[in-house]
Amino acid sequence: MDGTANSGEERAVLHYVAAARPVQQLISETLTQVAGFALLLMTSRRRAALAEGALAGARDAATRAAEEVRALAVPEVAAHHHHHLRGAAETLLHACVAALESRRIDASEQNDALVRALRASSDHLRATARLLPGFELVDFGQACCAAHAPQRLLEEVT
Amino acid sequence: MADYSIWVLEYAAVEKFPFSVMMYGPQHQGTRKLPYAYALLKGKGETILIDTGYDHVAYGEQLATAYGVSNYHGPREVLAECGVKPEDVTSIFITHAHFDHMGAMHLFPNAKFYVQKSELDKWVWALTLGPEYRFLTGGGDPADIVRAVEAAKEGRMICIDGDQADVLPGIDVHLAADTHTYGSMYVTIRNDGARDGEDKWIFAGDLIYTYDNLTGLDQDAPQIVPIGLAVGSQHNLIFSSVEMLKSVGGEVRRVIPVHEDRLRTTFPSRLTDKGLQVVEIALAKGEKSWVA
Repeated sequence: MDGTANSGEERAVLHYVAAARPVQQLISETLTQVAGFALLLMTSRRRAALAEGALAGARDAATRAAEEVRALAVPEVAAHHHHHLRGAAETLLHACVAALESRRIDASEQNDALVRALRASSDHLRATARLLPGFELVDFGQACCAAHAPQRLLEEVT
Repeated sequence: MADYSIWVLEYAAVEKFPFSVMMYGPQHQGTRKLPYAYALLKGKGETILIDTGYDHVAYGEQLATAYGVSNYHGPREVLAECGVKPEDVTSIFITHAHFDHMGAMHLFPNAKFYVQKSELDKWVWALTLGPEYRFLTGGGDPADIVRAVEAAKEGRMICIDGDQADVLPGIDVHLAADTHTYGSMYVTIRNDGARDGEDKWIFAGDLIYTYDNLTGLDQDAPQIVPIGLAVGSQHNLIFSSVEMLKSVGGEVRRVIPVHEDRLRTTFPSRLTDKGLQVVEIALAKGEKSWVA
């Protein structure tokens, strides 16, 4: 592969990363909201009823995320990453459907489906964080361990 | 004689941590070691942890390379220093939902978890605000909420709404709302079982990082100086610190900050062969010392 082709490939990956990162963040945030709803559902059905509006919003966000994942231009080297991003979005949609069903009936079967879908989405999301840089799921910028990082990194490069 | 044996167990550390984050204000005053640790309690038929540590598999490498967190050891190795296995742990109090306090729930398969309702509710709410508000959710991991759901489904997740006495015998929890996080809580161990007894220990979570938060740096003019990292207010951090101090009759050493390196010189301690500190706060009747 010559320098130009290599640059082209790198550019394609950079474009993919730039386009996929916001979608991954949307999936991550929506996953947390649906998981939060599930937590309410399993610890206090009364409180869960108050959060039904948020669940409807989460379903819309999950649908949007799934569409945006499908629309991504995927270079070959990012195919594995995209597979997991798609998996995270699709299983998140399953989780939304299961959450909507679970609020109607007190069925442990539905709760099983909800938990399975949340777990699958979370695992896919973790894989996206592992496979390419720039997709970290935890913002350590506000964590106590990270306050010194900019100075530390500066020291390392100078 | 104490009802509970209590240890603080280091599981990782940042060797050079800026003091100005541990305590609001003192810029350019160097660094200190910041240990990562959790507390282990044994007594009344229970084996209890206060906080879980973080998920090393998920982001240990990132923490090591970008943030200088070193010498991580998992709970199987760390708890073994006191003769305990992760499977033995029956209850875990989660002081707040940051990755280093709640990130390893999956490593304790038999434990019940206690967390403040508002900590989870408001964190999930904050995520609806959009990415420009991400400061409010920093340090949290979506996977931890999924694990909380799994624990809830198994009946092992208990959401507490505010202060609650005797969550376990002689152990009370207190909400410190809108401080370091939305629903931070601190844990009081009344180790003589008495309501107003003298043998109380408080585990402060990250409401304080160091004893200096409770005393200030000027011995002649003590003051409360809050930590340098909060989504809530310094006002609330100061008043929760005063509340904790009052509860132990002003005896600073009884309000335990697990990130305080000087615990090892304040209490009996030993350094393990892995370079981790084991700090022994109290011993219940019949329990042997693990630092002697």
